[in-house]
Amino acid sequence: MPRFGDLEAAIMDRVWAAGVPVRVRDVVEDLQRERPIAFTTVQTVMENLFRKGWLRRAKEGRIHRYWPAASREEYSAGLVEEALQAAPDRAAVLARLVARMPRGELDALRTALEEAKEREGLS
Amino acid sequence: MTVAVVLLGYAAVLAVCGPRLLGAPAWMEHAPRLGIVAWQAASVSFLASLVLGGLALSVPTVQVSANLAEVLRACVLALRSQYATPGGAAAGAVGATLALGVFVRCAYSVAATMASAVVARCRHRSTLRLVGRPGPASGVIVLDHPAPAAYCVPGLRRIAGGHVVLTSAAVGALDGPQLRAVLAHERAHLRAHHDLVTAAAAGLAAAFPRLRLFQAARAHILRLIELAADDAAARSEHRLTVAEALLAVASGPRPAGSLGAGGSADADRVRRLIAGRRPLGRASAALSGLAVALILAGPLLIFAGPAMSTLNTACC
Ligand SMILES: [Zn+2]
Repeated sequence: MPRFGDLEAAIMDRVWAAGVPVRVRDVVEDLQRERPIAFTTVQTVMENLFRKGWLRRAKEGRIHRYWPAASREEYSAGLVEEALQAAPDRAAVLARLVARMPRGELDALRTALEEAKEREGLS
Repeated sequence: MTVAVVLLGYAAVLAVCGPRLLGAPAWMEHAPRLGIVAWQAASVSFLASLVLGGLALSVPTVQVSANLAEVLRACVLALRSQYATPGGAAAGAVGATLALGVFVRCAYSVAATMASAVVARCRHRSTLRLVGRPGPASGVIVLDHPAPAAYCVPGLRRIAGGHVVLTSAAVGALDGPQLRAVLAHERAHLRAHHDLVTAAAAGLAAAFPRLRLFQAARAHILRLIELAADDAAARSEHRLTVAEALLAVASGPRPAGSLGAGGSADADRVRRLIAGRRPLGRASAALSGLAVALILAGPLLIFAGPAMSTLNTACC
């Protein structure tokens, strides 16, 4: 039995990959190719994801069709922007690795690096 | 009274001279971890001097005798005599307010900073869990993003709970050794609990926004943790590989809405890696360590010194 969070991630994975609105049954069939899983489990988790705002849905006859509220890239961009913009000591993330540098400074540093590599027989 | 004056004087000296004394020394470039401790020692020492100074103002010193009842009676008498005079009472009130006020304000600010970071981290993590893909090593998450970037999300418990996040562009831009260098850098942050180190410094800086000592401590600690993490990366990969990895990330396309180029401190980091500074020698490390210990011990010695040297007085 996978952890609940892993199942949420697996379901979002399938919904993003599908590209069109999907039924719970579609996701269940997709997931069952990798592991046995109950329909009701997937249904419950998808309803949770809908309630948390990750999925949208519309009723078609007696069944719901689900689609993602935003693309994976949009969520990723939001996270990366939060990581790069926040003050490094008051936010979720600790610190960005390195800030962007002006072109001229980059070129000077690259030259110095190549010289050092040559001096130490690395290049 | 003398003890209080000396302690408060010591705090004033630290506040005025601390930023200048600790702002420039070259040894910190060679021993960033010791540098972090030096700034922390100056901050803690300043706080301890203020709080103990306040206490010394509000509590008189009495003779200690073998008889507990005698001591208590002496305490009451001493307190009564200090607070009987308007001057003594005023000094006592000022001292108590100072000690309590400074302590509560700092504790509250540091706790609030840490709490807000934990809340933001939980939110960030819950999105990351669904959006990220498993990365090239355990504890590494990859995000689909066109700009190369790397950062770490500290866990609530030790390193097991922490994650390193790489963008897909960073994975594409870095070769094997460079990637290992970046991971070593981020893991060094997680292992050394730099999130707590920076949150404490930020909390103090927020508690006293006009105090140069705390502002300088925050800025320098932020710079020094990067040097310390670079050094850890340079122990795992060649230092020129670390420099190369930093340059590769720094030269990628700018993510939409990110802050403009402000990387002169980061350029210094790359220069430092290229130059290959030697670590601090054992003698200078010991000397610097001793200096740090003295800064830290100062207020305690001043506060406890008179009591210990005479051995027959104590604060009640
Ligand atoms: Zn870093």
